[in-house]
Amino acid sequence: MSAVIQIKQADTLFEAGGFADPNTPLVRNCWYVAGRSAEIGRDIISRRLLGIDVAMYRTLAGEPVAVRNRCPHRSFPLAKGKLVGDILSCGYHGMQFDPSGHCINMPSMPLAPTNANVRSFPIAERGPLVWIWMGNPDLADEGLIPDTSWLSDPHWCSVTGDFFMKCDYVSMHENLLDQTHFPFLHPGSVGTPEYARSKLDVRQEGDEILLNRALRNSPPPGIYGVPAEVMHKNVDRFSEAKFQSPAMHVAFAKIVDNAPDAGKPSEYRFNITHLITPETQGTIHYWWFNSRDFKHGDKEADDFMYTASEKAYLEDVDALEWILQVVTADEEKQFDLNFAPDKPGLLMRRMMYERAAAEAGYRF
Amino acid sequence: MRQNLINVSVRQIRQLTPRVREYLLASSDGKRLPSYQAGAHVEVHFNLPESGPVVRHYSLIGGDLLVDDALDTYRIAVQREDRRRGSAFLHEHLEVGSALQISVPMNNFPIDRRGNKSLLIAGGIGITPIMAMLRSTTRRSADFECVYAGRTLAEMAYHEEVMQLAGQHGSIHESGAGNRLDFPALLSKQPASTIVYVCGPLSMVDAVRSAAQQLGWDNSRVRSELFTAGPTGDEVEFDVEIRKSGHVVRVGRDTTILDALTAAGLHPLHDCRRGECGLCPMTVVEADGPITHNDRYLSDEERASQRTLCICVSRIQGTRLVLEA
Repeated sequence: MSAVIQIKQADTLFEAGGFADPNTPLVRNCWYVAGRSAEIGRDIISRRLLGIDVAMYRTLAGEPVAVRNRCPHRSFPLAKGKLVGDILSCGYHGMQFDPSGHCINMPSMPLAPTNANVRSFPIAERGPLVWIWMGNPDLADEGLIPDTSWLSDPHWCSVTGDFFMKCDYVSMHENLLDQTHFPFLHPGSVGTPEYARSKLDVRQEGDEILLNRALRNSPPPGIYGVPAEVMHKNVDRFSEAKFQSPAMHVAFAKIVDNAPDAGKPSEYRFNITHLITPETQGTIHYWWFNSRDFKHGDKEADDFMYTASEKAYLEDVDALEWILQVVTADEEKQFDLNFAPDKPGLLMRRMMYERAAAEAGYRF
Repeated sequence: MRQNLINVSVRQIRQLTPRVREYLLASSDGKRLPSYQAGAHVEVHFNLPESGPVVRHYSLIGGDLLVDDALDTYRIAVQREDRRRGSAFLHEHLEVGSALQISVPMNNFPIDRRGNKSLLIAGGIGITPIMAMLRSTTRRSADFECVYAGRTLAEMAYHEEVMQLAGQHGSIHESGAGNRLDFPALLSKQPASTIVYVCGPLSMVDAVRSAAQQLGWDNSRVRSELFTAGPTGDEVEFDVEIRKSGHVVRVGRDTTILDALTAAGLHPLHDCRRGECGLCPMTVVEADGPITHNDRYLSDEERASQRTLCICVSRIQGTRLVLEA
């Protein structure tokens, strides 16, 4: 594996009409996934999110808590301290913090110092995920947390995995909006040559970028065709891929079998959820869920979908890490060419750029 | 031990009441200033011609109603005190374009954004951090109540903004005619989740704390911002002699021992500048007047001994103070 690539933080000089790239400051006013619900419990864990080390635990009442993983006194990582009731105690000098980060006791001082507060972050749990807001906490409206209701809906079942990737989140989102790479980077699983050439319909709605494709009467891709048992026939394929936010991409795919075999459904649906949280400018935490509305509790289908998904995503991990290595190591600059199929990615990159610029105080 | 001050200049001045002026301070290099959250304050460092260097603390108001200040700008409000003090100097000398030095923002008074109700209580110029908190609670549609007390409406900075932001959750209390706020009544009707944030004169903070104590509240449910270094009016100037080095330094009535020693090229240990951290106490060899202790660090016995003082907030009522080192 390659070494983690350090990307130099750009001077925040924004110009109208720009596109986000690996150097663009991260969008902070956004809910990002901090981790899986099951990871956050009475043992304190730590994770670097958007460049800041965060300690996370759960109160006795079950509420998740996130504070900066750094004591304001001597920078001891608070996750290496201990939890007594709801009070986090630093492992170095025993300073005690409540779940809001307020210092309630410093054993070596006569009174708790009023300036000894550790920053806390808005945090909220939705189904199997815990979301965090690393930007201005006054803007952390829980209504902005993206819908992932299918991850806890009994009509759906999911396989899931995660990766740590040495690439930037802009490239990751661009990869997810770019479907013409499927047959080449993921031959045999996700992509078919017909799919790469099918017309796409792209549009922007607010801060979301939507991408629709319809491909009728064509062979199914293996990743969906095998579990649906329709590899022997042509089907109609529909998909809507959506850049939901800097933290999430979701795809809603549907396979329609116009002549279903006896006792078989005519429609198979798949929701693919990609959750992306920058660890730093050039590294990301990535969680994926591949959900389907048929064959609940079918271990063979689970295993197939898990293996096929993981293989495809590993191919993306390799590609994106190779690209970032070239982009950062090569000393002669290159302005990458753009073509018609890159439109969704460019719309996303412009929107990310505008959000980052707005957070830096620019108004275009 | 924070010496990395930021250069700013006055961008705009607004007279809010006969005694309160609002200043917009913009970074001199046009770059964005460090970010902060409701409850934060900055130290303003300047020199008084007669007394020498002084440091005053001003809360960051954060914006106008729900509009945040530009990222290169801080907003403070300064109340001119009757005595000739730092605030009077700022009122007299600051013009648009004047240069100042300020510290990075510090927050001793953060607001808890979990599900609890926030009861915001401001007295007089204590409204400044409460304005930032009010913007936060309003913007988040959080559960809150805001009580703003002052002598008369005409003397209460931002009273219209407070009512505009707080709406039915806000109330203005004119205490001019000996009409004091009934804190026990206000606190007794609060739900168990309420956390109180109070900023105002010491008498008000004490009244809120004692009301909470009477009701059996946990201490941590009352948060207050106290600028203990603020002048009381009866300070006198005196000389400080450092016995070991032989330095003699004049401490003006508006400056602190710490700032006078620092300006003289000595670098006494200190951190919080508010009499809490316990880094700055020095040993007293001689004093020809009683020590006025304004810290929260020393024990009662240490204070009574008159053998030590926190040089960031405490001083003497006398003419000569000899410190050991």
